Amino acid sequence: MRNKQKLKSVSVLVPLEKIESKISEIGFLLDGTTTIVADGKFWRKMLYVKREQTISVSEEIGDAYPKDPIITICGSKNTVSKVINGAKN
Amino acid sequence: MPLYECNEQQFVENIRRLIETSEKFLVNRRICLHDDAKYGPATLPNDEFKRYAIICMRKSLKSTVFSKVPFIDDFHARMYDKGENIHGSSSLMFPRMSIPYYKVEYSINVWGGTYFFTFDALFDPEIIIEKRSVKRLGTGILIHVLKYNAPDERVLTINLPKDVMVFDVKNMVRVIDYSSNF
Repeated sequence: MRNKQKLKSVSVLVPLEKIESKISEIGFLLDGTTTIVADGKFWRKMLYVKREQTISVSEEIGDAYPKDPIITICGSKNTVSKVINGAKN
Repeated sequence: MPLYECNEQQFVENIRRLIETSEKFLVNRRICLHDDAKYGPATLPNDEFKRYAIICMRKSLKSTVFSKVPFIDDFHARMYDKGENIHGSSSLMFPRMSIPYYKVEYSINVWGGTYFFTFDALFDPEIIIEKRSVKRLGTGILIHVLKYNAPDERVLTINLPKDVMVFDVKNMVRVIDYSSNF
């Protein structure tokens, strides 16, 4: 399973709620969150796990506009396409 | 050797491209604890400051932070009185209520260039009421205690496929490449 994993990272102009709903729809559970500072901005980083597959979602904290969460997927080809297409539609 | 800074998306996508070309490469990772007053409650965004709202207050972002109640900063073994000036954005080093953090650095060396992605992961505050003995206030009193919990390593790290080798390093020494002079 693990050696078939694909890697993909995208920045999307989609609300976090929509991404989270898509991620939970395909069976991923929230495993942990942390606050990070990158590029001089504060981000909330969330890790979702489904067996050996992981999805991390980083969203800027505060009233920044537009918000473009970064989604990083390490999972099957199917997971990558579902999350990416789900975030686009 | 040129250094190129990336954000998370760029760094991961660069790794993906390298995987797809079957190019051999190594990812270096450095995780180091810092507590140098770089981060304090005055400079936190409002949503993040709310996590400290039980023990301290401020008018707005970057304004002086005062303690609302007496509390003990367990990580630094320090006590603050009620109404004490505990952090200001104009003078970050003093008075200092420092939030510890991990500095996480990822880098890859490809074709003579170093591509890196770096971020700081703040420790999570946990505020509880505990029975403590404090010289000025007495023994066995109930007092707010601020504890800092290190973020979980799973959330800190970038998850990469198994065939990508990640080496943990203590430091990265920059090497000057003189070969371009000839």
